[in-house]
Amino acid sequence: MDLKLAWRNIWRNPRRSVLTMAAIAFATLLLVFMLSWQFGSYATMINASVKIHTGHLQVQADGYRDDRDIRKVVADPDAVGRILGGTPPVSAYTFRAEAFSLVSSKDRTYGVLVTGIDPEKEAAVSTLADTVREGEYLSAADTDRALIGTLLAENLQVAPGDELVLLGQGRDGSIAATVLVVKGVFSSGQDEFDRSVVHMPLDFFQETYSMRGAVHAAVAVCKDLEAMPEAKREISRKLAEQGRGRPLAVFGWKELVPGLLQAIKMDLIIGFIFYLILIVVVAFSILNTFLMAIFERKREFGVMMALGTTPARLTRVLVYESTAMTMLGCAAGILAGAILTAYFQANGIVVPGAEEIAREFGLPERIYPRLSLLSVSIGAGIVLLITLVTAAYPALRVRRLKPLDALRAG
Amino acid sequence: MMKLFKATTAAILALAFASGIAKAQDSVDGLALVDAAVKYYRGQASVATVRMIVHRSDWEREMTIKAWTLGKKYSLFYITDPPKDEGNGTLKRETDMWTYNPKVNRVIKLPPSMMSQAWMGSDFSNNDLAKSDSIIDDYVHEVEAEKTVDGKTVYTVLSMPKPKAPVIWGMQKLYIREDHILLRQEFYDEEMALVKTMTGEQIETLGGKLFPRIWRMQKADAENEYTLLDYRELEFKESLPERLFTVSSLQNPKRM
Repeated sequence: MDLKLAWRNIWRNPRRSVLTMAAIAFATLLLVFMLSWQFGSYATMINASVKIHTGHLQVQADGYRDDRDIRKVVADPDAVGRILGGTPPVSAYTFRAEAFSLVSSKDRTYGVLVTGIDPEKEAAVSTLADTVREGEYLSAADTDRALIGTLLAENLQVAPGDELVLLGQGRDGSIAATVLVVKGVFSSGQDEFDRSVVHMPLDFFQETYSMRGAVHAAVAVCKDLEAMPEAKREISRKLAEQGRGRPLAVFGWKELVPGLLQAIKMDLIIGFIFYLILIVVVAFSILNTFLMAIFERKREFGVMMALGTTPARLTRVLVYESTAMTMLGCAAGILAGAILTAYFQANGIVVPGAEEIAREFGLPERIYPRLSLLSVSIGAGIVLLITLVTAAYPALRVRRLKPLDALRAG
Repeated sequence: MMKLFKATTAAILALAFASGIAKAQDSVDGLALVDAAVKYYRGQASVATVRMIVHRSDWEREMTIKAWTLGKKYSLFYITDPPKDEGNGTLKRETDMWTYNPKVNRVIKLPPSMMSQAWMGSDFSNNDLAKSDSIIDDYVHEVEAEKTVDGKTVYTVLSMPKPKAPVIWGMQKLYIREDHILLRQEFYDEEMALVKTMTGEQIETLGGKLFPRIWRMQKADAENEYTLLDYRELEFKESLPERLFTVSSLQNPKRM
C-alpha cells in the first residue's frame, strides 16, 4: 500500500522525478567512468614503466637488492629459466648481470652500472630495443659492443663507432677491464637510466667480469599485471622446492620500483579529493530537489495528515520514494557508465598530441579504461549512500509539519 | 673587608696563572705531532712490497702490491700478484689519481666522484690513498688526551676539518706514540659516528726503523670485514727520481 503510494507519487510529477534521477545517474556514470579510467591508466603506466627496465618480476640472489655485491649471484640461470618458462602467467623472461664500473672515453670518465643483456630475450621483456635513437640495437652475434644512454653519450662525448674503456671488478675480485665499441644510443626518457647505464652482450660481460656463467637477475614479464602476484607465489614455491645453493628471492614490481607505487597512491588521493567534491555537489543538488519537492507538496501532506496519516507513515512513504528514485538513478548510471567504459575499453582513448611522444618511448599510444567490479561498485556505492542520507533529511522534516499550517500553505 | 677581597683576587689570579702555566706545559702541538707521524711513516722516499688481504665473511682475496712513495705527495703502486691482475697500477700525484690496466693498455684518470670508492675492492678508498697526507693541511689538530702504554706516551689527536676543506670525514682521531709511530686512526662521518678504523699492529724493525708491519682497516659496523696490509719488504730512501711518478711511467711495465 505504502509502496504503491510512493510509486504513484514519483510519477505524479515525472519531470521533477526524472531530473532528480538523471542527476544521480550522471554522478554515478561519471564516477564509474573516471574510476575505470584511473585504474586503467595505472595499469598502462605501470606496464610502461616496468617495461623500460625492471619487468613485472625478478629473481635475484637473496640480499642482492639491498647490497649490490657482484658476488651475490644467481649461479644457475638455466634452472631459474626452466622455472620461469614453466610458469604459465610468465610470457617472457631474460637474464641480466650487472657491475658498477668506471667507463672512460678519450678524456672523460664516469662511474656507471654496466649491464650484460641477452639481446634477443631482452627485446621480448623490455622496450630497450625500441628506444634506440642512434646506431643500432645489439644483435646476438655481437661481442665487444655497447649500448649506452643519450645522457651518458653526451657526458662522455661519444657517438656510435667510438671506443669506451671499462674498468671494474670481477666476481672473483680480479680487475675487469675491456674495450667496447658503441653500437647504439638509447633514450628511455628516464634520466637516471639514460645517464648511468651501459649495456653489453651478456656472454661478453660474463667473460669480462669472470662470472662463470652466473647472472644477477632473471627478469620476467607476465601476460598482464593482475597475473603477477599469482606468478610470484608459484615461482617462489618452485624455487623453494629446488632450494640449493645460495637462496634466491622473487620480487614484484612493487618492491623493485617502490617510487611508482607511491606516485600511484598520490594520484589516487588527488583523485579521491576530486570525487569527494563531485559527490558533495551531487548531494546538494539532490538535497535541493527533495526539499523543493516537499515544499511544493506541503498542501498534499497537510491533507494526508488531516485525513489521519501518521507522521511516521508519511516519512516511510517519502523514504520509499527517494529510495526508489536513487536506486533507479544509480542503476541507470551504472548501466550507462559500464556501456561507455566498455566501449572505450574495447577501442582505447587517444590522448591528443601524446601519440608521438608515446611512440618515441615505446609506450602504448592509447589508454584503455578498465571496467572492474571495484570501479563500478565504489562510485555507485558512494552515490547511493550519500543520496539516501541526503534524502532522509526532508523525509524527517515532514514530521514537524502542522496539518493546519500545511493546509494553508501553497 | 677590602683586605679579604684583595686576598681573594690574588688567589684567583694566582690559580688562573698557575693553571695557565700547567696548560702551556701540557699542550703538545697537535700539528707538529701529526706532521712528524706522517713524515715518520712515509720517510723521504720509500719502496715497499705489501701483501693486501681483503677479508669478507664468506670470501677472502689476496694480492701483492709493489709501492713507491716520494715525499708527501707522490705515490705509485702496482700489482705483482695474482698473475691475472699483474701490471695494474695506480699513480697518485698531489690529489689526482690515475689507474692503468695492461689488458686494455689504457690509463684512466679517476673522476672526483670516484675518490670515495673502494680501491680494488678493499676497505681502503681511493681517497685514503690519494689524500692520506692531506690530513696535515686540511685539518686542525688538537691533542685531546695522553696516556702511558708500555712505558711510552700515546697522544690522542683530534683532527677536525678546516672550513671548506675538500674532505669527506667529519672528524679523525689519531693515536700517535711518542716516537711518532701512528698506532691507530679513526674516521668519523659528519654526525660524528665512527665509520672505520685503521690500526697498526706488530711493531718491529722494518727498513731500519720501528714500523707497524700490519695495517688493518676495519669498517665500524662489520666485524668480519676488514683489509690487511702486510709489509713484506720496506726500504726507506733518501730520494727517488721524480720521473717515476708520471703517467708514462705508470704505463711502462719496466719502470724500475
